[in-house]
Amino acid sequence: MTKISKKRLYLVLGCLLAIYVVLAIAPAFAQDVTEAEYREFPKIGSRNAAWIAAQLHLLFGSFILGVPMFAVIIEFIGWRTKDARYDRMAQEFIKLCMGAFSTTALLGGVLVFILIWCYPKVMSKLSGIFGPTMIFYVVLFFGETFTLYLYSYGWDKMQGRHKGWHLFLGVLLNVWGTAIMFVSNSWLSYQTSPATQHGVLSEMRKKSWMEEQLAADPSLTPETVMEGVTDHSTIPLHNETTGEFMGTVWDAVNNFTWMPINIHRLVGNIAFGGSIVAAYAAFRFLVAKTKEDKAHYDWMGYTGNFIALCGLIPLPFLGYWLGREIYMFNNTMGINMMGSLFSWLFIIQAVMIGVLFIGANYYLWSGMGRIEGAEIYARYRPYMITIIILCVAVWMTPRTLSKISSASELSAMGGANHPHLGLFGLMTAKNTVVNIIILTTFLSFLFYRRSGKTPTVSWGKVGNVAISSIFFFSTVAIVVIGIVGFSVPTDLRVNILTPYQVLIALAVMAVVTIVDIFMYRKATTSGAINWGEMTDRSQYVLILIAITFTSLMGLMGYARSGLREAWHIFGVMQDTSVDAFTPLLSEAVNMVAIIMVAFFALVGFIFWLGLWGEKKKQAAAAPVEAEVAVESDD
Amino acid sequence: MSKSTLIKIASLILMVVSFIAYIAGASAFPIASENLLPWSAWFLIAVIVNIIVWSNVVKLLTFSLAVIWFYAFVAGLVPESSTAVNLTELDWSDPDAVAEQGALVFNGKGQCAACHTVDTSAPPGRCPDLTDIGVNAATRVPGMDAKSYLIESMYQPANFLVPGYGKIMPEVWKAPINLSKLEIEAVIAYLQSLGGEIDPTPFDEPIDRADVGTTAEALPPLLTGDSELGKKVFVDAACISCHAVTGIESPAAGETNEDFEVVTAPDLSEIAAFNDMRYLEESILLPAAQIVSGYGAVTVRAKGTTFQGTLVSQDTEKIVVRTKAADGTEEEHTILLTEIDDEPIEELTNLQARGYFTLTLTPTDAEAPVTGEIVSETDETVTLKVGDENKSFSKTDVKSQMTVIIFDGDEIVGDHVSGTMDDDEIVLMVDGSEEMFDTFDLEEATMTRARGKKLLVTSPMPENFPIILSVADMTNLLSFLRTLTGATAEAVPEEAAEVPAE
Repeated sequence: MTKISKKRLYLVLGCLLAIYVVLAIAPAFAQDVTEAEYREFPKIGSRNAAWIAAQLHLLFGSFILGVPMFAVIIEFIGWRTKDARYDRMAQEFIKLCMGAFSTTALLGGVLVFILIWCYPKVMSKLSGIFGPTMIFYVVLFFGETFTLYLYSYGWDKMQGRHKGWHLFLGVLLNVWGTAIMFVSNSWLSYQTSPATQHGVLSEMRKKSWMEEQLAADPSLTPETVMEGVTDHSTIPLHNETTGEFMGTVWDAVNNFTWMPINIHRLVGNIAFGGSIVAAYAAFRFLVAKTKEDKAHYDWMGYTGNFIALCGLIPLPFLGYWLGREIYMFNNTMGINMMGSLFSWLFIIQAVMIGVLFIGANYYLWSGMGRIEGAEIYARYRPYMITIIILCVAVWMTPRTLSKISSASELSAMGGANHPHLGLFGLMTAKNTVVNIIILTTFLSFLFYRRSGKTPTVSWGKVGNVAISSIFFFSTVAIVVIGIVGFSVPTDLRVNILTPYQVLIALAVMAVVTIVDIFMYRKATTSGAINWGEMTDRSQYVLILIAITFTSLMGLMGYARSGLREAWHIFGVMQDTSVDAFTPLLSEAVNMVAIIMVAFFALVGFIFWLGLWGEKKKQAAAAPVEAEVAVESDD
Repeated sequence: MSKSTLIKIASLILMVVSFIAYIAGASAFPIASENLLPWSAWFLIAVIVNIIVWSNVVKLLTFSLAVIWFYAFVAGLVPESSTAVNLTELDWSDPDAVAEQGALVFNGKGQCAACHTVDTSAPPGRCPDLTDIGVNAATRVPGMDAKSYLIESMYQPANFLVPGYGKIMPEVWKAPINLSKLEIEAVIAYLQSLGGEIDPTPFDEPIDRADVGTTAEALPPLLTGDSELGKKVFVDAACISCHAVTGIESPAAGETNEDFEVVTAPDLSEIAAFNDMRYLEESILLPAAQIVSGYGAVTVRAKGTTFQGTLVSQDTEKIVVRTKAADGTEEEHTILLTEIDDEPIEELTNLQARGYFTLTLTPTDAEAPVTGEIVSETDETVTLKVGDENKSFSKTDVKSQMTVIIFDGDEIVGDHVSGTMDDDEIVLMVDGSEEMFDTFDLEEATMTRARGKKLLVTSPMPENFPIILSVADMTNLLSFLRTLTGATAEAVPEEAAEVPAE
């Protein structure tokens, strides 16, 4: 049987996919092409086609943007500590990234093709506004592509004295990647929130806005128009009557939700990348034949999970910021998100985040099983799991029960809110438990880090008392602030109390980490970490975490996009297509499930190709090595 | 092929098929939905078998698929809303099917269920309960049949408001809800099916869709005020003295308004959640334009007593008025509309606006007075519902009446025959017979045109805010009111742990 090379296989599959797409949409070309506002994608409809292509592109994009961020850090650690294991792992990460890169680009192309064909008017409007950024995007894409090639293919050659330059390439790769994401985020965030604050508005738009106001009401003067207008006042970017875009490109880019989405995605990419890498390691661990391989992939899985956790912890805070900006832009949209159309989606979100935190903690506790001397921390587990489960239960508590209660139940409750548990549905309760879950997870990690070690510093006991006190008092403070939050105005809670809770949690993690580092700097090791001696169950948890992350991304994508309701550009350009509605949550989740199956199938295929290539290399190298060995024996 | 291999392959196929069937919707694969276990059960069975019989890689695939299915399954359990409706035609040969389509619009795109309930035992919604609206619609506005009433309610909801409910319903044919005529027809069929008969007669829309304006105009205006400054206006302009807002301290009481037992004006903590900016603006400029149920001030004379207080509730038979004694004690009085005293009416102008709901007048060509509920009026005529019939009367063609008040306080009303207070005697036709009154015995004699029962509800809120507030203050105040959604109090921005790139 003829052997097929990896490249040829890629080519064949790429061609097959392209042929399928062309054949699938061929009937659409028979449609009227003159002045069409919309064209129907055959079989599955335009929205579903765009939805699948966009979500797959974004999942792959998230992976290839997230992985280089921590790969370069791990490479740096390997370089400074001269530990080759780190370098090998970072290189392995980038290999995964390379495999996914071309798929990301391919899916991006498919997405653009679908959008241009199915939504010509929308794309015309968007390209009219964002044209210059699209050219910039292409330049950035070239930059990223060539830097990634150099970074990956130059890995082995740029060792030793060239390592610094190689690391520079890694950093440059991240700069390109982040810039690409920021540019594309501006397009979609503009669709959601096409307005900005007076303080950051261009002079051109300020002038045109003033003219609009004066034309609308001739009794006004420039001074009276400006009465009450502050830097934070919302200014639409369009003529309120004609819908014509009146600002500059920067006005459109720098809209309300752009920067929150940028930062949210940046950190989210790290968490997602880490979780996918951990899932890959888990898969390799489960199929590994040798102890060495098991040890390596155990370590890789641990690292991936650690990275995912590092990204996961700040995400709720960044999500809070994004949500706040949505409220600032349009209150109705905010209410729709949290209190109306999408309110139950956030209960599902809580279920998923609960799974993520419980899974991450379980993995850490399971990992302590392979460390000799970690048993002393086992007694805390029942309390910690109880705390996490209770907190997740509070997070999952809906505010109103009107849609799931019978009339008699509602009557017994005296309304749609449960008289006692209804309090847990309020945001102040949810913010409180989020911080407690995060601190408990951090404590799990602290125990993991300390396992098998005994501090030698003279102030060890004092240090422990101090750390315990910090945890205790900070938790009390977070709870007290949460309780106070029930009785203060929303503004005070949103702008002061909740940020204080977050700051307390972050401060605890920072201070305790510093104290702990000093405490355990010269600690004696009572037991080594037996890498590779993890249970299979724990590896399934890593896969569970990766799938949950992916589901969550898909679900939140539905929410972000659905928030616009029947608008392509909220309040400016109406969706008049047959898909001008928000689908049911169950329909959306089914679509997300289809996308996830496709994503994991593609990822699995790419990883398998990687494995295949690796095996072929090993097989090719084996006889040569054997010959060399024979020669040296001689 | 061995038996175990067959089991392995069969369970794998079952898992994949049942997963696809579940996600695609069991209706697409009807074999299992009716007579056998549902697809979700088949899927779970297949998952268990696969985990037992397969090793690593397939086991891993099974696990992954099970997790994906689990989230889809959980999300399918929670209540959900969709704005999806794809009505291209209505099949009036099956009115029940049209009503079903209407129910989908009602609960989905139309967002009607957000405010209306269809269950009398459920807690009251923000808008009237619609149980039996198919029948009740015919009784809401005298002279208007059920379908006409429902059509008007959908297109011009502010034309008639059910007593006790404010003007919060949007015009659903406009953005952002944008119901098409077909969708409105389907909703009307659904509403008629609630206790009534579905009338498939086609109707013309009472609006011109071309008048909707640009989409930008159809949206609520984006405010440019500063909500922080608006909050200061809210306190400085003494709004806080009467209106509670969660967390804002009343300077007078030194405590939050939540602690007050008696609230003199509506709580505004969630005002922006249910009302658009136009309503808020109108409420400040014209406080009496729409009065929230339970907060209107009313003075009514009945059973010889004057009741002055707050109109707690009102229906077609009775009203409930809450009065407050000097010592602060409160009492609620239920008064039948029939018990409300007649008042003399001097001018037959703006009767409905002045609060009259019944009228007793004597047409010039009639001997006896006519009494009925006021259905409608123009400058020239007034239409009364007399018995089951609507009758119109010319306002100029009404016999003059006179109300005389005797020194002992008794009021006598009759058709004027002759005499004034300047004469020695006044002659009136009372109950078909002439009566003569000596002006020496009379305290007052007023020439009137008719008599009527009046229930004038006013807003206790002063109307001078447009004068005392500058444009900037008003803009800032509206910006502040816009932040009072209640939803922010219960669920603020949190896309908690939303992950990256959607």
